[in-house]
Amino acid sequence: MLRFVRQRVTASLISLVGLIVLVFFLSRLTGDPTNLFLPIDASDQMREQFRQLHGLNDPLIVQFGRYVWDLLHLDFGESIRQARPAINVVLQAFVWTFQLAVITMVLVTLAAVVCGSLAAFNAGGLFDRFVSLLSLIGAAAPDFWVAIVAITLLAVKLSWLPTSGTGTLWHWIMPIGVLFIRPFGLILQVVRGSMLSTLGSAYVKTARAKGVRTKSIIFVHTLRNALLPVITVIGDQAASLLNGAVVVETIFGFPGVGKLMIDSILQRDFNVILAAIMVTALAIFVMNILIDLGYALLDPRIRY
Amino acid sequence: MKQAKQLAGIAFVSMLAWSGAAMAQGKSDVTIVLGEQTDLLEPCMATRSNIGRVILQNISETLTEIDVRNNSTLKPRLATSWEQVDPTTWRFHLRQNVTFSDGSTFDAEDVKHSIERSMSSKITCETSRYFGDTKITPSVVDDHTIDIKTDPAEPVLPLLMSLLTIVPSETPVEFTRNPIGTGPYKLAEWTPGQRIVLTQRDGYWGDKPAVAKATYVFRSDSAVRAAMVKTGEADIAPAISAEDATDKSIDFSYPNSETLYIRPDDSMPPLNDKRVRKALNMAIDRQSFIGSLLPEGTEIATTVVPSTTAGVPKDLKPFPYDPEGAKKLLAEAKADGVPVDTKLELVGRTNLFPNVTEVMEATLGMLKDAGFNVDLKMHEVAEFEGIYSKPFQKGRAPQLVAAQHDNARGDPVFSMFWKYASDGRQSTLSDPHVDDLIKQATAATGDKRNQLWSELFTYLHDDVVADVQLFHMVSFARISPKLDYKPSIALNGQLQLSEIKFK
Amino acid sequence: MLSTEIVGTPEAIAVPRGTAATRVLRMLYRDKLALCAGIFLLIVITCALFGPYLLNDIATRPNLRARNAPPFSLAHGWLAVLGADALGRPLLARIIVASQNTMAVACGAVACSALVGAVLGLVAGYSRGRGGQIIMRLADIIMSFPSLLLAVIVLYMLAPSVGNLIVVLAITRIPVYLRTTRAEVLEIRERMFVQAATVMGASRMRIVLRHILPIVIPTIVTIATLDFAFVMLAESSLSFLGIGIQPPQITWGLMVSQGRSYLANAWWLAFWPGLAIILTTLSLNLLSNWMRVVLDPVQRWRLEMRKTEA
Repeated sequence: MLRFVRQRVTASLISLVGLIVLVFFLSRLTGDPTNLFLPIDASDQMREQFRQLHGLNDPLIVQFGRYVWDLLHLDFGESIRQARPAINVVLQAFVWTFQLAVITMVLVTLAAVVCGSLAAFNAGGLFDRFVSLLSLIGAAAPDFWVAIVAITLLAVKLSWLPTSGTGTLWHWIMPIGVLFIRPFGLILQVVRGSMLSTLGSAYVKTARAKGVRTKSIIFVHTLRNALLPVITVIGDQAASLLNGAVVVETIFGFPGVGKLMIDSILQRDFNVILAAIMVTALAIFVMNILIDLGYALLDPRIRY
Repeated sequence: MKQAKQLAGIAFVSMLAWSGAAMAQGKSDVTIVLGEQTDLLEPCMATRSNIGRVILQNISETLTEIDVRNNSTLKPRLATSWEQVDPTTWRFHLRQNVTFSDGSTFDAEDVKHSIERSMSSKITCETSRYFGDTKITPSVVDDHTIDIKTDPAEPVLPLLMSLLTIVPSETPVEFTRNPIGTGPYKLAEWTPGQRIVLTQRDGYWGDKPAVAKATYVFRSDSAVRAAMVKTGEADIAPAISAEDATDKSIDFSYPNSETLYIRPDDSMPPLNDKRVRKALNMAIDRQSFIGSLLPEGTEIATTVVPSTTAGVPKDLKPFPYDPEGAKKLLAEAKADGVPVDTKLELVGRTNLFPNVTEVMEATLGMLKDAGFNVDLKMHEVAEFEGIYSKPFQKGRAPQLVAAQHDNARGDPVFSMFWKYASDGRQSTLSDPHVDDLIKQATAATGDKRNQLWSELFTYLHDDVVADVQLFHMVSFARISPKLDYKPSIALNGQLQLSEIKFK
Repeated sequence: MLSTEIVGTPEAIAVPRGTAATRVLRMLYRDKLALCAGIFLLIVITCALFGPYLLNDIATRPNLRARNAPPFSLAHGWLAVLGADALGRPLLARIIVASQNTMAVACGAVACSALVGAVLGLVAGYSRGRGGQIIMRLADIIMSFPSLLLAVIVLYMLAPSVGNLIVVLAITRIPVYLRTTRAEVLEIRERMFVQAATVMGASRMRIVLRHILPIVIPTIVTIATLDFAFVMLAESSLSFLGIGIQPPQITWGLMVSQGRSYLANAWWLAFWPGLAIILTTLSLNLLSNWMRVVLDPVQRWRLEMRKTEA
């Protein structure tokens, strides 16, 4: 097990290096931040000055060398937009995104596993149809639509919750609620589908034939095996949340990493893009390792 | 990592804090919700609207100030008076007994440092762009008098000084995150991405404003900004879209100093033919936009600057809507061998203003109806700037670029060179007479200046038909009923807290 | 109750008659929900194939007099029965025309990502070697590469066309199929029957295709049907940010994001295209659930059961 973790950490570090190289060069293909930072009627002299100041005139490979050198000294560079270290900008935002992602995923997982397995046990029944329908509508509804309707209803009409922002626990309810919907629908469907095939598979029948009658034992047997694809999908959904929930962050004025990433990409603030990707990638790599460990834990036959 | 831990701690505590600061508001506090993040609070960048709305004249003041409520004339701020000593030198007399928020006294040395700092090549301040290639040399006469020498002569220097914020002479020549100024407020709290808080300070030289504390928060969605004022979470929301301005009692429209126009590529056939450009102008039914896609109060434009700007002629007539006439002009041009059937590209920018897509699509429809062979291309901001500004791409199609230009400064000098001179960055025109007029007007003063500008505008609109002027745009601000405040054209670039009163 | 469901009663399993096609149709007819779903999808496909040729002009010509015309009124013609948009263009006609681009992007992206993801997942799951490891680390990179940045890069350098959009969306969705397939394979390859097949000397290819793939497919299909909605909405947010498909081209996603600013006073602008997305997803899911019951001999009992109930 330890060997496996060690291997994975090494492999992930290599992936991270690959990612940095990829993002560094690809992002610089998308244009020059000079035109975006400076006003449209800036003189050529000002533009030249700006490029000089931020080292944009050097050949790409020199810029990359400098970046890597600084990185080895744990210097992630300055944000052009904010004139402060890029890593501070990113960490500040990531803390919010991380909390939002974790809370949402815990709630989603609990709800989806419970509802999904109930639906599978009772396939074709009323509960199944109702939950499936609801979750599908949720998964297909545009999230900004849900968010704005929620604000209009819960904040403006009923004044139960604050419209947006951060500050109190109440501020978290709507963003989490909106984020909840889509992964819930997806994971619920996967739980249900996976449970159904496991219920029909030989070993559950065997268990039954051997006289295991108690519902709960069957539930545990089935769920345990059905969970493999489920935690994979959970991982995928969590990864997209860790990359930032752009729409929700934008609408609710939530200072997370998704909004930061969008702004930085649109403004070509390369150092922030890179720092943000490193932080989120690290989180995602760690999560993927945990998921692989989870496989082995759930199914002892899987060895690494 | 230690930092991350700390940050996590802070965020966690703030999440658990049930009684939010936003809820507990004093009577003389206001909350302002802005659409665009303020990522810098650098005084020399205050001409950028997202920074200016927070610090301009609130924290950092200027020597002079444009009085938008009084026909855009210039009024004293940190300078009490000014005069031209000789053609290249202006003398400013500075206000006495003024202190900065850090306690130091304001004098001529501070002005000198502020000028040198914003012109420095070590930082990229935005102010310097307004001075173009003009060389500025300040020299201190005494503590409260300063001479500013320019090369060449700069007739509108006092106007330019309304853009230059004054910082203490100790300010380092790098972007600061802690702005110090002479204004009535000081920066009390700044949590990037969340809020900025300004509080009133003691020892301000002017009248004590009614607002004691101002909190700025940021929401990019217009509907949310509007909702926040409705629920009382915020008091002022500038720049909400017309669709969200549904409550006449709290929503006020104001001219936002932006002018929407289409720039045809005057250097390329078929757009280098005047008849074709005239046909473009006649093909668009400007009136039909107002009150439908664009809010009531939008003004039809004939010049690229607002009509309150100095030198804008009052007698320019917008082109009439006449699709048949346009067709006829196109046919004429075609008979002369102009390739009018060439595919044109109408270029728009996403998120330029609310409704931009619909406005572009409607324009496209009208141009097609008048017989133009045209396609619409919408681009995000970076790509758009690449098309709008020189150097232009090689092998491009003949383009019609729909852009907005913002000039709230009262003088056309901030626009004309860039948009129309042969070397102008966004100009496709190459007309010696235009170049000459711009040069003359820029150097002239008084009535002569206005007259030259006026001549230029008329020449561009009637004789050259350089572009398709469309609208002077308006925005909406939602203002809480507890405030006594009416938005003005200045709201596009600044929001003076001292203008806000309580009912 | 549970036991009856699983075992089923012998009488319920009627012997099907007729050709395969009629048999399937008969089964479809028995499941009313799946039938409706099938019909709806048929309509969508017809619209996607022929809509733009019939209605393109009506759907793109502005008519400011009918601006934001409310739904359920025939004042502006039957095509405006769902209302008209901010330029007075009938929404029904626009939805029909937009279905072509929408379906092209969604089908293209989902099919490509599912196919590539599943194949790579099978390889990564079944081979214990280095190849599998490399595939998984590549998946890690894609997963942590923000889809938006990828979109900006691709669409900045190439034009924002339907084809390029499919490439962008397909790449970003590959990891989920890849990882799910691999996870399933990891478990299945340890099952008794696979090991039995191995012992009996079946080739690796045969084991993967005949024994493992059929068990993996239902999960992939479940994810794929839901991904349909995801892809349509992702496409909409790209358009909103100015890097996806741009007007005058139309897709449902673009219509939804354009209608966003009118939510307060003309809800129908965003509602109908949103409903189209929801209904399509719903139909696909219902049909795929039905299909998986019909095609899976292990699960067929449930459909047969329902027959006796009906």
